[in-house]
Amino acid sequence: MADDALALELRGITKKFPGVVANDRIDFDLRRGEVHALLGENGAGKSTLMNVLYGLYHPDEGEIRIGGELVSMGSPKDAIAHGIGMVHQHFMLIPVMTVAENIVLGTEPRREGAILDLGAAEKRVRELSVRYGLAVDPRARIRNISVGRQQRVEILKALYRDAEILILDEPTAVLTPQEATELFKVLRSLADEGMSIIFISHKLNEVLSIADRITVLRRGKKIETLPTKDATEAGLAKLMVGREVLLRVDKTAADPGATMLRIDDLVVADDRGLAAVRGVSLEVRAGEIVGIAGVDGNGQTELIDAITGLRRPASGRIEIAGRDLTSADARQVLDEGLGHIPEDRQARGLVLEFTLAENLALEDYRRPPDSRWGWLFPARLIARARRLLREFDVRGGGPSARAAALSGGNQQKVVIAREVGRDPRVLVAAQPTRGLDVGAIEYVHKRLIAVRDEGKAVLLISLELDEILSLSDRILVLYEGGIVGEYGPETPEEELGVAMTGGGRKVAAA
Amino acid sequence: MLATPPAPPEGEGPGETVASRFAFYQRAGGVLTPLVTTVFAFFIGGLVVLLITHKNPISTYKAIFNGTGLNWFFPWISHADRINAAFNLQSTLLLTTPLILTGLAVAFAFRAGLFNIGGQGQYAAGSIVGVWVASSLTGMSGFPHIVLAILLGSLAGAGLAGIAGFLRATVGAHEVITTIMLNWIVFWLAGWLFGQQGPLQTSRERSLTQSNDIAPNTHLHVWWGNPILQGLHVGFFIAVAMLVVYWIVLNRTTLGYEIRAVGYNPEAAGYAGIDVRRAYFLAMAISGGFAGLAGVIDVLGWKFVLSVDDVQGQAGAGAVGFLGIAVALLGRNSAVGIFFAALLFGALLNGTSDRHLDPAVFPPTLAENLTLLIQGLVLLFIGADILVIYLWRARRRVVPRKLARTSST
Amino acid sequence: MSTYAAPVRVAASRLTEPRGVGLVGIFLGTLAAWLALPPLSARTLLWPILVGILAVAAGIWTVSRGAGRVGWGAVASGILGIALGSLATRSSVGHLETVVIWSALLASTLRYATPLTFAAIGGMFSERSGVVNIGLEGMMLMGSFFGIWGADKTGSWILGVLIAMVSGMMLALVHAVFCIQLRADQIVIGTAINFLALGITGYLFTDIYGARGIPANVPEIPDISLGGLKGVYFIGPIFGNLNLMIWLSFVLLILSYVVMFKTPIGLRLRAVGEHPRAADTVGISVYATRYAAVITSGGLAALGGAYLTLGFIHNFDQNITGGRGFIALAALIFGKWRPFGAFAAALLFGFSSALGDHLPDYFAPGSSVPQLFNILPYALTLIAVAGVIGRSIPPAAIGRPYVKQ
Repeated sequence: MADDALALELRGITKKFPGVVANDRIDFDLRRGEVHALLGENGAGKSTLMNVLYGLYHPDEGEIRIGGELVSMGSPKDAIAHGIGMVHQHFMLIPVMTVAENIVLGTEPRREGAILDLGAAEKRVRELSVRYGLAVDPRARIRNISVGRQQRVEILKALYRDAEILILDEPTAVLTPQEATELFKVLRSLADEGMSIIFISHKLNEVLSIADRITVLRRGKKIETLPTKDATEAGLAKLMVGREVLLRVDKTAADPGATMLRIDDLVVADDRGLAAVRGVSLEVRAGEIVGIAGVDGNGQTELIDAITGLRRPASGRIEIAGRDLTSADARQVLDEGLGHIPEDRQARGLVLEFTLAENLALEDYRRPPDSRWGWLFPARLIARARRLLREFDVRGGGPSARAAALSGGNQQKVVIAREVGRDPRVLVAAQPTRGLDVGAIEYVHKRLIAVRDEGKAVLLISLELDEILSLSDRILVLYEGGIVGEYGPETPEEELGVAMTGGGRKVAAA
Repeated sequence: MLATPPAPPEGEGPGETVASRFAFYQRAGGVLTPLVTTVFAFFIGGLVVLLITHKNPISTYKAIFNGTGLNWFFPWISHADRINAAFNLQSTLLLTTPLILTGLAVAFAFRAGLFNIGGQGQYAAGSIVGVWVASSLTGMSGFPHIVLAILLGSLAGAGLAGIAGFLRATVGAHEVITTIMLNWIVFWLAGWLFGQQGPLQTSRERSLTQSNDIAPNTHLHVWWGNPILQGLHVGFFIAVAMLVVYWIVLNRTTLGYEIRAVGYNPEAAGYAGIDVRRAYFLAMAISGGFAGLAGVIDVLGWKFVLSVDDVQGQAGAGAVGFLGIAVALLGRNSAVGIFFAALLFGALLNGTSDRHLDPAVFPPTLAENLTLLIQGLVLLFIGADILVIYLWRARRRVVPRKLARTSST
Repeated sequence: MSTYAAPVRVAASRLTEPRGVGLVGIFLGTLAAWLALPPLSARTLLWPILVGILAVAAGIWTVSRGAGRVGWGAVASGILGIALGSLATRSSVGHLETVVIWSALLASTLRYATPLTFAAIGGMFSERSGVVNIGLEGMMLMGSFFGIWGADKTGSWILGVLIAMVSGMMLALVHAVFCIQLRADQIVIGTAINFLALGITGYLFTDIYGARGIPANVPEIPDISLGGLKGVYFIGPIFGNLNLMIWLSFVLLILSYVVMFKTPIGLRLRAVGEHPRAADTVGISVYATRYAAVITSGGLAALGGAYLTLGFIHNFDQNITGGRGFIALAALIFGKWRPFGAFAAALLFGFSSALGDHLPDYFAPGSSVPQLFNILPYALTLIAVAGVIGRSIPPAAIGRPYVKQ
């Protein structure tokens, strides 16, 4: 019954967590030398399935066969012993250690029985990196090398352990398109050498360009496995989401008014003191959405921090409605009419242990009616919360419910209610739909359009090109800390993609 | 090429900060776990008594209980017993007073997500300044003198903890380390100040390593019991009032709101425009103020003089400042909880002291150590509240539930 | 928080580069010697010693941050400065006497440093694996009591030391179970451990020895008499007659360095303390590693405690460690979680204590000023963690319980 050509077989894998079935009787197989993509939305169960395979989770039901043989994965150790290597979405690397130390960790070469042989380790790493074209310096410290390099180290880690099956969990999320193209080349050549690769992604175009076969998961269930040649983008999207997807949001043409946010030649340093934003100039007018597209790590965080007063710019100028706020702190900026939907609602947007009423007051608690002379009036906080929760259709709890008890979508609604409810002049939205389901994404998008239509200036920073394209009236591309071009909303995705890698030509600002 | 550093290890466990962990435990355990914990700790303490000394633990605990004076509340005891019990109870409440305050010190810092382990040093700083002010300026009349001593003593505690708060706020130095270091600095400073030829040494006798006695008109008024036998002074009411202040500051002022927000999630607080550094500094300073206040009140209430041994002898883990940690933890950082936890430990300390425990039943020297043991056990089990939570969850998991669907939110 | 101060930190970091601090140290060492010379002619040893110690501290800090040559230069200049300064201030005293005083002081330094060295290296194992150990104090105290109790009951100091180690490891096991398995707050549990140790040792001590105290005939850890060194100038009086445990601490020092930085065990332990999940994904058991590290730390801290009672003070009293566990923790932090750094810090702290013992001669009889020397270790550690002269950065995952998926 075992098929020789199969490197791996998963049968009826079920994994339950309290309250959810993350994997529901999933079958999956992997042929030798193929790239098999695992496609699905966030939360579809892709990562859970791979963690089961890698021994990090123990399945409640089901069996795993490797090379036809039934195996049990008690821990990552077993998985490694069976030739499985995994490149996690968040790299499993130790920043203060060297490349070689990271690669050999757990299976270290020794001399005289007990002494760590780093020389041998470095030599082996060099051999591997030459053989597979994955150039890295074995002595460099992880914290000093780029994300692309770090990913290579992760792949080398698997190769060092003689992996025959390689799992990559959303490997392109942190890469520039260039680096992604390079990665695809490496993966292709690995597959040609007989390596079997599982490629986890939620990006359709990627999957179509790298995979031999595609398995689609939805809500913990396997929907279908099909060869790439039979797949289309629209077809896959439908399989993934379970219904036709609207890729565009309905909106009218923008009617921009006066300039609300103006940034001139802004330079901002990152945590290490290096210039991450290098001379950015832009303006956002009332009644328009300006989208900033770019690959992660090109200065987005520092730009947002500078605008919102969390990080003092090294030079340049920031104005909101004509007022110079270059060296203002977060509170002053918020008081001048900036609304900020931060990137990570749980870490930055909300105090999860606070009630919704307290969360909604996070910026205005210092002023009447919330407080007077330092004295807080909880009843007024609750009254306001009741109004806002109704207006923004937040479900899952009243003003006294804790924020942690809400679903991600409703948490984001709370953040939006707070920021939009303050009636800001300028709204900065950073990754406003990250990790949300389709319904919640639609809600957020409609809200942002509504805010624009109320005549506010909206600056949208997103890593999702689709989101940028469907919402923005103008698109600016951020690359290595600078704006490399301005584009209209009808610009083809490919053209933006080129610009995001630094290949675009500059278009005169409109 | 700009490199984003790799993602730090994920935040694991119920919460990132001390404060949010606490909120989690409180929700999960309620008022039940502190009670269970205490009973459990006493139970194990009793086992120790039984195993090591072969004494009857129940009669030992009964003797300790009678030493605490808590039997004063029982309506059925005889008149003679009641007089004795009143005296014991006064002593218990005398010890409860500083424990309430050091407990508040630890709890207040906890609410800002900080761990003030330097209560003992701040307590000592408060006592030192208190004794200095109260023993000098002898020309002042009583009430303003007392107020001044209390104010400056509290400020000393606040200042000391403020250093730790400032270092945390500006350079991120961990307050656990800095407060431990500051503790020892104060202990040795006291050695110099009150030591031979030290600047604050008593003028009475050159070989005595202690301070001058405080001015008689700065003694706190004894309102219950005999002042000669050291009845209960008004400092107790100050401590109780501070419980109210604690609650009000946290729940009814914008400063308290800021401190709670920073305690739960400093990043989100910063994003919302709250000055996180200011909150850290103020939280530590206020926290130290409570501990410093405890120090002054003890000096003005019943110590009246401070010796080197008094300060340095309390360097050990068994002292009031350290007990504040246990009080805050057992009291779940709530004002009411802190009152009862302080009462428990005050009673325990008093009930096992040689003045109050009947040596025929149990040797007080042993009992003092038994107290330490019970304190340790209480801390251990409180710290491991999660154990109780596990059991709770495990019980719930057995109940079959409808299979919910996975969804992305 | 970090986002606020980025540009400030950039500027500050240049001023506090290790080389800069080292150079300041060399300068301070020179100053120490110069203070005693005309025209300043400091009368007491206080100032040359204070400034010299600062120089040594700057040197240790510099060395532990990788600028070896400048750092050692600062250490040397500090020691030299103290020596020259003392010669100058005591020029009336005979040369021979100075040598005697100094070798006694240094031998005393080693005696005070040794308990700290054991405990600090113990703490290093625990903290490098990601478990904060402020229970070191309690584990030391256990070793102190059970060492002397074991030696008394068995009549053998070797068995006493072994019993001490076991007692420390048992207490460490409690710490480990609560911190690792039950994911309790490590600082709370550390505090509890200290309470427990005080209670247990105090209880047993009072119960067993209460009336009589520790008998005088308890076997002691022997001193190693190196006959060959006896006559050697200066060195002889320092190293000629040291306790066995002091020599053992030197061995431990080297051994712990090798284990921590030159073996797979050390690499794994450090990985667990930096990024436990990464270690987990390559098949390293985070829990097992942490258990082993914490238990080792308990054993080592207890060794330090046993030396205290069996090799140094030859007695036991309640709370005899008197905060030495906390000083060890400070030494560990000051030494940047490295064995030699911790050892150097322990020496420095030991020197402060030795000075507190020997210095009163220099002041009016009975003066309390030498008490101030005891502040030095804490003030230096405070400065080191505050980053005024740079920063001690702990292992990344320290204090966080690990949840296995």
